[in-house]
Amino acid sequence: MFLNPWSLALSLCSLVVLVLGAVAGKTAVRVLRFWEPGSDSNRQIRLENEIWLSSTLVAYGLGFQIITLILFVLAADQFCQVIVGAMCATGALLANPYGMPALLVKLFGVFFYGFWILLHQLDIRSEHYPLVRIKYLALLLLLPMLVLDVTLQTLYIAGIKPDIITSCCAVVFSDSTGGGTNLMIGYSQQSLLIAFIGSIVGLAAVGWGLLRRWRPWLAGFYAAGWFWFFGLSLVVITTVISSYVYAMPYHKCPFCILKPEYHYFGFALYGALIPAAFFGASAAVAGLVRGKVGLTEVVDGYQRLAVKLSLALLVFFSGLSFYHYLKYLISGGEG
Amino acid sequence: MAQTNLEKQLNILDYALSSLWRRRMKSLSVLLVFASVIFLLASFQMVTQALSDKAKQVLAYTPEITLQKMSAGRQEAIPLAYKDKLAGIFGIRRVVPRIWGYYFDEVLLANYTVMGMNVDEMPESARLDTALASGRMPTPDEQGRVVIGHSVKKALDLEGRNTFSFFRPNLSLKAFTVSGEFSQGTDILTNDLIIMNLADARDLYAIPAGMVTDLCVYVANPKEIDTIARKISEALPGVRVLTRPQIQKTYQVVFGWRSGFGSICLLTALAAFVILAWDKASGLSPEERREIAILKVLGWETSDILAVRFWESVIVSGLACVVGMTAAYIHVVYFAASLFRPVLMGWSVLRPDLHLLPRMAAGDILLILAFTVIPYLAATVIPAWRSATVPADSALGG
Repeated sequence: MFLNPWSLALSLCSLVVLVLGAVAGKTAVRVLRFWEPGSDSNRQIRLENEIWLSSTLVAYGLGFQIITLILFVLAADQFCQVIVGAMCATGALLANPYGMPALLVKLFGVFFYGFWILLHQLDIRSEHYPLVRIKYLALLLLLPMLVLDVTLQTLYIAGIKPDIITSCCAVVFSDSTGGGTNLMIGYSQQSLLIAFIGSIVGLAAVGWGLLRRWRPWLAGFYAAGWFWFFGLSLVVITTVISSYVYAMPYHKCPFCILKPEYHYFGFALYGALIPAAFFGASAAVAGLVRGKVGLTEVVDGYQRLAVKLSLALLVFFSGLSFYHYLKYLISGGEG
Repeated sequence: MAQTNLEKQLNILDYALSSLWRRRMKSLSVLLVFASVIFLLASFQMVTQALSDKAKQVLAYTPEITLQKMSAGRQEAIPLAYKDKLAGIFGIRRVVPRIWGYYFDEVLLANYTVMGMNVDEMPESARLDTALASGRMPTPDEQGRVVIGHSVKKALDLEGRNTFSFFRPNLSLKAFTVSGEFSQGTDILTNDLIIMNLADARDLYAIPAGMVTDLCVYVANPKEIDTIARKISEALPGVRVLTRPQIQKTYQVVFGWRSGFGSICLLTALAAFVILAWDKASGLSPEERREIAILKVLGWETSDILAVRFWESVIVSGLACVVGMTAAYIHVVYFAASLFRPVLMGWSVLRPDLHLLPRMAAGDILLILAFTVIPYLAATVIPAWRSATVPADSALGG
């Protein structure tokens, strides 16, 4: 279903990001082949100019990908109006096998583009550009991911078959196309909540420990903890938190909280969780390049900042996620 | 650290504003073209939105299930006897026979929608009178009484009299008396509508006794619509069973499709604009080269100049968005989207005066931004980089 403004906007943005990625990729190949830090040849000066272009392009690409991520979820929410049995974005995304993978690739893509920009920011802090080769190798590795993202999204859009009344047998009594309201059944809420609270406390403790005394292995543990917490939070938001937001025990959906009916609550929730996980994990990523010339101080400074930011966002996120729950416990739910 | 960074960005923003102001003619021309592209796209989006909202409102009152008899793939009259076959199905609140047709007035070249039904049988018949500006609905035993919509009254020139005649298929005349008139608030539904009772409609269209055009099935519980529809289609093969959710989805698809099609047409305008923006951003005048060279000599880095260009693009697109979307809103609300209405609406000859009220959620604004601002930013980034990497010596020395 390409003839729909949402599909068109998504495809257009993806096309733009692909073009930007391709231009940046061209620079990447040239840098990997011809980069000579000590040389003052024309080519080297041109390349030094070009790395500005490519980093700006990736930064733009990141911004655009964040927008397409939001757009994608909102588009799925629109598509559900034309798909039999779909009530919200969940149903629309499950309508064909490409929806969920496309969303996940987009989501993780945001992390990877972010890591790349982090590498770039660290790199330009040093006079020697010590990370140029690593950076451009990483850029070339990001490109297939971008292509995968666009391919999945295109397949998803192409696979959506709107339900049109065409013939006398028009009554399509299909079962709701996977469109349950629940993505994840079978986890007990109690143990999930305990794990969730435990993870919050654990992460806060590790983060505090890191701020007191920096240990590389602990930073790695912190990053791994954030990835675990990120996944866990998505599950907990779906199965526990969302139904408190909707004030409906059987409505469990990670997407509807993004709607205006719920005061765009989801944007605040995900808007805290995703950057928190990014900063939490990026401290360890930055640690990987700490040994390069002239980066030790920069990396140290960044790591402390990242851990502080992730802890602050963690507090904010936990506050948000327990807000409706506590409100329910204290005031007995929606008036 | 964060403080100084913010301060730096604010200063850069300040510089970007002053630099836009210095080249105000160039900035203004880009701004105007950009705003008009956004205006076109946003109006289209708003009209679609408002129309599909309207359709949703309208469809909320249609019967849950409509039955039509099909023969050779075409619709034909359905016997009233079918009603009895539905008696055994639980959950059906009521089955209301209806004659629904169009009457083409050859003198005035207008198409009216004629609906014949016994109003008393409808589930909320008492409330129907609230849709009337004057008069009342015809009762089943009143012959030749009709309720008409606003445009029908105008088209038939019924000021000062209340009778008119239509031709039967055999060209004999059938006379009607107006007993009521719909209020303009329901124009989207009732503008071209003539309501009469079943017997009159049957007489007008020469439909044999015991036949109607369709049967409206009212269902008590909306969750049972699909099950009841399946039971009906099993009990009455050869009957087309239309459910309300299905019709709603079809409307969504059609509006989505039309607006997508319109957007594709507008993409050409967008492409032209992107080329213009690219061109404007690439053509560096000697003064601009000198300016960048001086900034570089003063210690600005490439990234700072890129930031200036970024802020310039953001300011231009932000202003263009505000101007374009406001204009689009005015166009849709006060001028009833006169530019696009023919594309999005039906083709019937009598068209209601529409009062559209677009509902812009944050998502719709984001959609329009994605359509316009992202291509613009992408088109200006490479020229911005070219201008930012002007070597200081060449620009100043020349």
